[in-house]
Amino acid sequence: MSAMELLIELTLMPLIAFIVGMMMVLMMRRIAAKLQRRIGPPFFQPLYDIVKLHSKKTQVSHGLIHDIGIVMAMGGYIAAETLLPVPGMNGIAEKGGIITLLYLMMIPSLGLALGVGQCANPNGSIGIARALTAMLAYDIPLVIVVFGVAFAAGTTNLIDIIAVQQAGGFETWGVTQMPLLAIAGLIAMHASLGKQPFEIYIAPAEIATGPMVEMGGKYLGGLFVMQCFQLYTTSVLYVSLFLGGGTTWFDFLLKSFLVLAIPVSIAYLFPRYRTEDLLRLMWKWPVMLGLIGIAFVFV
Amino acid sequence: MILTLLDELLLFSGATLLVALFLGRGLTAGWMVTILYGGQLLALLKMATLGYGRGTISSMLSFEVMGQTLSWRFDALSWFFALITIGSALLSSWFSCGAWERSFIRQGGNIWLFHTAMALNVFTMLILLASGDLLSLFIGWELVSWAGFLLMALAGGVATKAAMRYITYAMAGGMAIFGGLALVYSASGSLQLEAVVMAVNQTSTTKLWLLVILFGGGFGIKMGLLPFHLWQAPAYAETPGPGSAFLGAISSRMGLFAILLVLVKLFGIVNIDNLKVPFTLIDARDLLAWLAVLTIILPTFTAMKQNDARHLLAWHGIGQGGYMLLGIVVADAMGGAGGLLHVFNHATYQAALFMAVTAVIYRTGTSDLNKLGGLVVRMPLSFMVLLIGIIGLAGLPPMNGFVSKWLVYRSLLNQGMPLLFLAAIIGTLGTILSVYKLIHNIFLGQLRVEHEHVAEAPWSMMIPMLILSAIIFITGLMPGIPLEWIASVLQTVGLPVPEYTLGGVESNSGSLDMIWVIGVLFAGFGIGAIVFYSAGRSKRVHQLDNYAGGHFLSADVRYQYSDNFYAGLMHLIGGWYRGSFLWLERSITSMIEFLSLGMQGLYRRANAEFYLLSTALFVIAWVVI
Amino acid sequence: MNASLVLTIALPLLGAFLLPILMRSSLAIGLWSGPAILIYGCWTIADVWLHGSTQPSSIAIGGFAPPMGINLYIDSLALLFAFAVQLLGLVFWPFTLDRDSARRQALMLLLVAASTGLALSGDLFNLYVFYELAAVATFGLATASGSSAAYVATLRYLILSGIGSVLTLFGIALIYGKTGTLNLAHLAQLAPDQLNDKLGLTAFLSILIGIGVKAELFPVNTWVPEIYATASTRLSAFLAGLLSKLALLIILRLLLLIFHQPEALQVIVVLGFLGVVSGELAAWRAKEMRRMLAFSSIGQLGVMFIAMALPDGKGVLAVLALAIHHLIIKSGLFMLAEDWGGAIQRLRGSAKTAPLGAALFVLFSLSLVGMPPLPGFWAKFTLITELAGQTEPLYLIGLAVFLLATVIEASYLFRVAAILYRNAPRDTLDEEIPKSEGLSLATATLFGVGLIGSAVLIAPVGDSLNSIAVQLQDIDLYISTVSPGSSQ
Repeated sequence: MSAMELLIELTLMPLIAFIVGMMMVLMMRRIAAKLQRRIGPPFFQPLYDIVKLHSKKTQVSHGLIHDIGIVMAMGGYIAAETLLPVPGMNGIAEKGGIITLLYLMMIPSLGLALGVGQCANPNGSIGIARALTAMLAYDIPLVIVVFGVAFAAGTTNLIDIIAVQQAGGFETWGVTQMPLLAIAGLIAMHASLGKQPFEIYIAPAEIATGPMVEMGGKYLGGLFVMQCFQLYTTSVLYVSLFLGGGTTWFDFLLKSFLVLAIPVSIAYLFPRYRTEDLLRLMWKWPVMLGLIGIAFVFV
Repeated sequence: MILTLLDELLLFSGATLLVALFLGRGLTAGWMVTILYGGQLLALLKMATLGYGRGTISSMLSFEVMGQTLSWRFDALSWFFALITIGSALLSSWFSCGAWERSFIRQGGNIWLFHTAMALNVFTMLILLASGDLLSLFIGWELVSWAGFLLMALAGGVATKAAMRYITYAMAGGMAIFGGLALVYSASGSLQLEAVVMAVNQTSTTKLWLLVILFGGGFGIKMGLLPFHLWQAPAYAETPGPGSAFLGAISSRMGLFAILLVLVKLFGIVNIDNLKVPFTLIDARDLLAWLAVLTIILPTFTAMKQNDARHLLAWHGIGQGGYMLLGIVVADAMGGAGGLLHVFNHATYQAALFMAVTAVIYRTGTSDLNKLGGLVVRMPLSFMVLLIGIIGLAGLPPMNGFVSKWLVYRSLLNQGMPLLFLAAIIGTLGTILSVYKLIHNIFLGQLRVEHEHVAEAPWSMMIPMLILSAIIFITGLMPGIPLEWIASVLQTVGLPVPEYTLGGVESNSGSLDMIWVIGVLFAGFGIGAIVFYSAGRSKRVHQLDNYAGGHFLSADVRYQYSDNFYAGLMHLIGGWYRGSFLWLERSITSMIEFLSLGMQGLYRRANAEFYLLSTALFVIAWVVI
Repeated sequence: MNASLVLTIALPLLGAFLLPILMRSSLAIGLWSGPAILIYGCWTIADVWLHGSTQPSSIAIGGFAPPMGINLYIDSLALLFAFAVQLLGLVFWPFTLDRDSARRQALMLLLVAASTGLALSGDLFNLYVFYELAAVATFGLATASGSSAAYVATLRYLILSGIGSVLTLFGIALIYGKTGTLNLAHLAQLAPDQLNDKLGLTAFLSILIGIGVKAELFPVNTWVPEIYATASTRLSAFLAGLLSKLALLIILRLLLLIFHQPEALQVIVVLGFLGVVSGELAAWRAKEMRRMLAFSSIGQLGVMFIAMALPDGKGVLAVLALAIHHLIIKSGLFMLAEDWGGAIQRLRGSAKTAPLGAALFVLFSLSLVGMPPLPGFWAKFTLITELAGQTEPLYLIGLAVFLLATVIEASYLFRVAAILYRNAPRDTLDEEIPKSEGLSLATATLFGVGLIGSAVLIAPVGDSLNSIAVQLQDIDLYISTVSPGSSQ
């Protein structure tokens, strides 16, 4: 592969991710609307939102770190996309592997945390404290799941993990080989999205007590972009781990949207857990399922 | 009589000590000592072939005492640890020169004692690292322990209390090693390094267990291995600033060095693996691995609850030691390399973190996390150093801590150890939570009124901090540089060597190339920045121009979240902090108190003659009948 | 020339009786005659040591050859201790001049004479006589301060010592009754046949417990803390430093020459073990420097008993090394304690007013807990390597206890060191902080220099100790030296 091709891949992968991510946001809103018997937003609404937020007249900054935090939040995901193989493009997936990817996915959270911290608003800090606690909650089952998959495949290279699953069709998919891990992974993934019932740290309904309290204009816009990436990364990661990745763009996107549709649909049916309940839930069921799943992997 | 390179180094180090001892009163003494540390570093670099291949350099110094031969030599293992030792001493000493020194003297500190103690620590550590047989190892070990005691105790007050606790632990560790030494000697009749191998081959399983426990426990105490960790955090935290940077960077790694030398190189991981715990499925190696992960988790979560920056960091120092031991106990190519690389990485970021916190103390007079905040606008460079440090500590890309932890995770994955893997990750997550609290409560949030006019740390302190930050980043970008040294260390101690490149490691089960990862990460940041800054210009507002639920904020209102930072988490796990080890320590102390009281009572009895007679009769009766 | 060694006993003895008279006639002569005698003694012994051969020799007293007559047995160990006695007698000489000084100096000379006799004596009965003499001198010296506490302490010591003497005498009587001789060389010849039974054992144990009173053997050491805390520090230093070691070495010699029963060793190891435990634990809570040192000394002696109990004389070197090391350390520490009486807490800030004293304290403590490369480390090293080589669990337990006791020891010694280096309480005047100066500090410095010197010269010191130990274990040599021609 020539350097030029690689460069094109590295440019295309985040770009596609961004576009697909916006569509995923749209899907999420449409599903919510359906469940709440509303019409829902038009197709280009996510794009409108982003453009609108970035072009606002009033942009309030609380300091350099506030800005840098938003840059980190976007940049971390942009980098993460290049480690996530899509049909026909591997980017630099073999130079990082799944553990690196998981850690790169923490960088946006860290950026957000720094940015919010600089805002000098205790409400924001409380939100971050809750967000980090939630991360502690869902990362534990997630890590069990990742361990199981990587150990079963004998590698941390995502390309190989996908190849192993595609080798024998549906029978060798992660979800059929390791159903328990797949369930645990789904729960952990749901929590990592920060959607109901696990959305105490974002708490969009009570904006005063969340990380977003001092965010407006392009700051909120940056976080919106981050959310697009987040939805995309999470669902594609799940597809790569359990659903055999994608051979063509069509089945790849289909799987990704379908996977995302599950937590999103569930989300709008539930109220919210408190932080400690979130911890308790995450450390009980998905962890248990995951550990049993790993036991099966070893057998 | 030709001096070898090692002799030169030791002489240089001894000269540093003498200079500190005799010329240490003046204000230029700090600079002189620092320059001499630089000289030591050069002398060490002259031996750099050790770090890049096999071979040893012995000292011409050798003694014959009481039938024992004492000798000293350097190999790749010693060289690697010596590099960290001298490097951290150089930077810590540099940090202490000038501004910090003056403030230390103003507060009634004894700067002469400080420089002397530092030089003594370095000198004794080099002697320990150079030990060529078990006896010189023990001598070096004790010297290091007492030198450390001096550095910890010199601040007086609370520090002395902590140091006293330390010395009791250290003494216990020393005696355990002493006992182990005696066992080896009785089994093989010699204290040369090969004697351990002989002893291992000859003695019974029980004695092997005893050896592992004595050596493991003795060396483990120094590195704060559970359950012997209680002394470390207060002792390191209360040491004067640059001293704690130095101690935190390298001091407790001496335990790891000894474990590598005695348990891994001589004893052999295989032999440890062969020691089964009766009636269970686990063996001594599992036991060590589990001790290591407990050492990761418990101190890390204790750190999260600290309200003093120095104590928080010191507790993390204990926790990170667990990763090193864990990697080494797993003992495959990745694990060994990860454990050793973490020694290096930890030294760099821990020193940087302690220095940054000391800089904050220097400017504000406190390290209480509830009395700081918002300092990023006043001390941006210190903030940057602390940020780089905590990213390294938490093990996130792009800093060096990530690489070493990645290697440890990979080894656990390769060997199929899910629970240890999970535990290691829990430790990392806990670290992230805890270090965010650190940086948030010091640098983010609301700037207090009394810190309105605080200035950035002076350059004498800033330059070493920046050098360390650069090292943290560069070795994160190009871990191949330290990995090359580590490869020779691994060879020396007989562990497998991973295939490494400049940017990371190659493996057919998943590689890592940090140059690429960091490259795309910064490209991502660049694109993010373009998107962000191409949007409308933002207006900088005052920190009081903030949402406060309809109230007006004024300068005297404390609008900061710092206390009980992870309240939600603590609702759940708060009850799990039982202080069991503290309880254990206290109960042992009070048991000794009680016994002591009893013994004193025995001696205070007036009718001693009664004892004499009854003993005499009893003894004679016992023998005759 | 060796015969002049008799004078090292006779002269102080004579001096002790003449001194009060001399004092009355001429104060100057009286004052200087004591030190002069001791200096002469030192010189004589040093002369024998330097010019004599390394072979042991025997001096028959009164022209009768042993086993009929009494004899002095002179080997390297005896010389070493005789020299130490004279030297320490000089170092701890009660120089102070007051109404009582004649009595005190006379008693000191008596103590020196008796101790030298203990070091050199070659038969049991003489040992007993010198032992009693030393005890009498000690009683007198211990009450010299005249305080009521000292009298109470001495009374207790008197009773213990008296019963101990009776027991010793009982043991000696048993031996005499069985073998008809009290000469050690002769006994060594006869022992395998005649004393290797329960009677011999009983005799040994009686002597052990009797002499153990001086050697601070558990449990007949209850006099130790009181005496050391109330008598003058110079006397305490002499008792803890030297006399206890002499008693210990007598037991060691008896053990090596005459009593080879394994039960004897077991009793010693158990008692030593209890001594370590009780002494170190009691010291942990001691609130007073001298009392702490006293307890610590009990513990250290216990360690030596454990070393002594190693079978086949394996521990002889360790006993010697530990004994000599402890001799230096404890003497030095007691000299420091002279100015540092009373509660330990009172010493806060002493490092400022007495930097040398505090530094010496740290030095002694470090060596006592066995920090390499100080001599204490090598002494302990010789012990633990031998202990670990034993297969009997009793010794391994002893090893563990010894190591744990060292931890406790380090803990309490450095608690004191930390107090010394703490800042004095704010409202204390400088005069209130105990200083350390004058003669006692100089003496302690002397011991400190000796300690450092032996640390530097550890290789030759170790070698010579080793040769002493080898000589000590050679029973045939002992027998053939005392009565040439006869062999076992």
